[in-house]
Amino acid sequence: MLHVTWKGLLAHKIRLATTAIAVLIGVAFMAGTLVLTATIGSTFDGLYADINAGTDVVVRGAQSVNAGFGDVRGPVPESVLATVQGVPGVRIAEGNVNGYAQYVGKDGKAVGNPNRGAPTLGFAWSDDQSLNPLRLATGTAPTKPDDVVVDKATADKEGFAVGDRVTILTQSGSEQFTVSGIARFGNVDSPLGATLAVFTTPTAQRVLGLPGQFSAVAAAADPGISQQELASRVQEVLPDGLEAVTGKDLTQEQQSQTRQIVGSFSTFLLVFAGVALFVGCFLIYNTFSIIVAQRSREMALLRAIGAARRQVLTSVLVEALITGFVASAVGVVVGMGVAVGLRSLLSAFGFGIPATGLTVEPSAVVVPILVGVLITVASAFFPARKASKVPPVAAMRSVQIDESSRSITRMILGALILGLGILQLFIGLVSRPDNALLIVGGGVVFTFLGVAALGPVIARPVARVIGWPIARLRHMPGVIARDNAMRNPKRTASTAAALMIGVGLVAFILIFWSSATDSIRGVVNKGFVGDFVVQSNAGFDGGLPPSVATQIGALPEVATVAETRNVVAAVNGNGAFMLAVNPQSFGSLADLQVKEGTLDALAENGTIAVYDQTAKDKGWVVGDTVPVTFPVSGPQQLKVVATFGEQNIGGTYLIGLPTAEANTAVQVDNSVYVKLAPGVSAEAGRKAIETVTDTYPNAQVQDKVEFADSIVGQVTSLLLFVIVLLLLAVVIALIGIANTLALSIFERTREIGLLRAVGMTRTQVRSAVRWESVIMALLGTALGLVIGLFFGWALIQALSDQGFDTFSVPIPLLVLVVLVAFGAGVLAAVFPARRASNLNVLDAISSE
Amino acid sequence: MTAPIAAPPAIAARAVDATKVYGKGDTEVRALDGVTVDFPAHAFTAIMGPSGSGKSTLMQCVAGLDTLTSGQVFIGDAELSSLSEKQLTLLRRDKIGFVFQAFNLVPTLTAEENITLPMDLAGRKPDKEWLDQVVRTVGLADRLHHRPSELSGGQQQRVAVARALASRPEIIFGDEPTGNLDSRAGAEILSFLRDAVKQMGQTVVMVTHDPTAASYADHVLFLADGKIVDRMDEPTADAVLDRIKQFGR
Repeated sequence: MLHVTWKGLLAHKIRLATTAIAVLIGVAFMAGTLVLTATIGSTFDGLYADINAGTDVVVRGAQSVNAGFGDVRGPVPESVLATVQGVPGVRIAEGNVNGYAQYVGKDGKAVGNPNRGAPTLGFAWSDDQSLNPLRLATGTAPTKPDDVVVDKATADKEGFAVGDRVTILTQSGSEQFTVSGIARFGNVDSPLGATLAVFTTPTAQRVLGLPGQFSAVAAAADPGISQQELASRVQEVLPDGLEAVTGKDLTQEQQSQTRQIVGSFSTFLLVFAGVALFVGCFLIYNTFSIIVAQRSREMALLRAIGAARRQVLTSVLVEALITGFVASAVGVVVGMGVAVGLRSLLSAFGFGIPATGLTVEPSAVVVPILVGVLITVASAFFPARKASKVPPVAAMRSVQIDESSRSITRMILGALILGLGILQLFIGLVSRPDNALLIVGGGVVFTFLGVAALGPVIARPVARVIGWPIARLRHMPGVIARDNAMRNPKRTASTAAALMIGVGLVAFILIFWSSATDSIRGVVNKGFVGDFVVQSNAGFDGGLPPSVATQIGALPEVATVAETRNVVAAVNGNGAFMLAVNPQSFGSLADLQVKEGTLDALAENGTIAVYDQTAKDKGWVVGDTVPVTFPVSGPQQLKVVATFGEQNIGGTYLIGLPTAEANTAVQVDNSVYVKLAPGVSAEAGRKAIETVTDTYPNAQVQDKVEFADSIVGQVTSLLLFVIVLLLLAVVIALIGIANTLALSIFERTREIGLLRAVGMTRTQVRSAVRWESVIMALLGTALGLVIGLFFGWALIQALSDQGFDTFSVPIPLLVLVVLVAFGAGVLAAVFPARRASNLNVLDAISSE
Repeated sequence: MTAPIAAPPAIAARAVDATKVYGKGDTEVRALDGVTVDFPAHAFTAIMGPSGSGKSTLMQCVAGLDTLTSGQVFIGDAELSSLSEKQLTLLRRDKIGFVFQAFNLVPTLTAEENITLPMDLAGRKPDKEWLDQVVRTVGLADRLHHRPSELSGGQQQRVAVARALASRPEIIFGDEPTGNLDSRAGAEILSFLRDAVKQMGQTVVMVTHDPTAASYADHVLFLADGKIVDRMDEPTADAVLDRIKQFGR
């Protein structure tokens, strides 16, 4: 039987090639993701290993708070350095200082954008080679207070040379420094594209906001003393609140934290590989169904001459197995290219990953191949079973292609699957259990499967409706196109279903985007009472020295300013983001809909305001105390002084600046809200504010609309990226349409020959194929749009308590989707249509 | 008063020195070897000959389905080798009707749609009265909205005949039109074709290997080895059979 399988493979290689492409694309993307993320992971591993290579013990704050983006810890007092240096076995110990420092380029613009790209870091120079991963390429180490060493990547890019005066933005403002040297990081010009500004230790402490403190103290051991031994010796002499960890442990900790982030990135990309493979399943199912139908006579012959059912089944499955394996193996190879491509894409966004070799873990090869083979065989199973059910007597009959569409079983099964999917969606979205994402994902898959199962039942009527105008406009070719699209609803439906998935997800994203942006604009319009926002583009920690707010507040054109900062703390033991606000003015610039108490009360140190719903959930009322742990100051009791109903401006927790100053180390603002004095025009106001912000190139002045746009812009670029990844699924679906058409045309050779004989022109044949393709594409699009609308609606309903108060359907964009699908249908038909129109009439009518 | 001029018998189609060669060198096969023949208008001509005699090739070349290696073919005044592929298609659509042995109908179209197919492809409205007459003649009035799969073999061939007649072509070609039918259904189809010639003034050219079928024709051409070897007017089945028997010798 294997021999028969092999011959079958060879005979159908072109038809199987499209199946292979579908598998290949999904597998390649999957392998590419695994290889890329492994590469990033091992790059980071190497990076941390390099940084900590000479460090045997690190002393740091024992208290850590994690709000999802790595541990945040408090600083170490300067005096600890001497204590550590005094421990026997410590060869050398130095204080590390690090924080935010951003270069200003010669064009006056801030270099890099830590909001979206690699970090802009400042730290202190160490002369000890084992504690300092930097090596000078030219120049000297920083010695004077205004000296700085620049990483080579930044120096090359910005044209900085030794002796140049450069401007650097730090939390203490914008200052001029002299480049004393240019350094490389290990063997790369800059680690992961970060920009580095390295100062003398006192300067670093001053400008990075840690006067009299270190971020941590690093020590190297005398020869013969283990890291473990040294760490325990150091730990003994440390004051409370500090801990000594070995360099090895630190490295592992840092590695595992980045692995987590890389892991979520990997999962994110793998979802799209999954979508591509899911769509591929339909294509495989379809191809094998059609091949089996066309070969039913051959199957019957095999059965007639004595092949057992199981042998027929096996022969088809083995065909699938070989196809799947070959495609997956090629896919893994292509995946290496995908990884390189994705890496360049990331580089283009500023994440430079050193071009070391790719890290290919065995699992990155084995898992995608296994998945690829498995889905190919699984998708081919039902067609194979059908092949095995062909009775031997069918060898004597003429080939009957199954055109059944509505079996009761199918309808019941489809409805059940669809119901299960919708149920899961609602359970996941409404009651939000811990594994909500998984449940919702399952719901999405089942919903698609359910609709796909019901597809053959709906395909005929829907194709009739879609085909009606085409039949009217294109006359006979249109009628033939419509009838052909309707003649085998199963095939039409499963072809369309593949497109439905891609279109459904794209439509969902578009609807979500539209609703989210409308909601954001609504929140900004309602909640933001001021005229301007000055934002720092220096990332989460912010980069506006408090002097910005003071100077703007002093302008005669300005009535009120309210500065805000981001703070990470643990509330009730759970890491959380807090917004620290100016208690006097914030309430007058943002309408938070205070329910109880007043925001003014935040002026007192040790107070907090909580989002109404959260307070209710946790049973807190005004006057209660809440345990909050800050990385710097440790556990505190904060008194609830207000509850508010608007969560989308300041988040769940608000504290006053006095509380923030008392409990955090770094004092920089993230945003400054501005309200102009009465009678001052927006233009005049902006001009006045810009006289202040001109000296802070990382500050952006935005009015209400620009402010909303900047938030919307972030959402847009993320969702755009998602849509680009979803196009992968759409492309596979189009290959599916082309494949189905090509197979159908093969089947209809005689019919096309007849049509040509009685006077159908080549143009008309092409037209008929093209419109059939368009009908299938539009059918898939129509189903996709309905599902996308439903998903969008469901999600917005579920998120209504998170500020998504608008369900908005972007009609023009959805119309665009339909037009694109239309064009894609035309495109998918190009090859099959040409093939059909080039059929030799005589061969076609005399075949068989 | 001028003397009545005897009109020359009108010619519906003509082949002049038609030659069709397949293959080259040793494998060369001359399917048609310099055939010159006229197909008179308003007459029923049957082409007979053993397998490989070139009878189907002759029909296909005259009907514009295939092209000659050398020589000329005329449908009316049109010389086919000078026509482009598209012009040939339009010629088949507008001036020629076809009845094939099997697979005559588009399975997705109803009987009526199949009948009007060539006109629909041309974007022309069928002549309702004529269509009704054709449908009545072939006895399909109650089957018009059925699809081919719901019709018997004989009914399907009747639909094909109706299609060939409906557009009032200059000439109808039949390629073994009764080859797949039982004798009663076959006789019906042949009667329709003969009536089309006798009563409607159609021209029919039919390839067949069945002497009984040939006996419905006005003339029979006998082909062997790519050449016309004989012709017979007013044939009877027995006479045709006798003639055919000589081929074997």
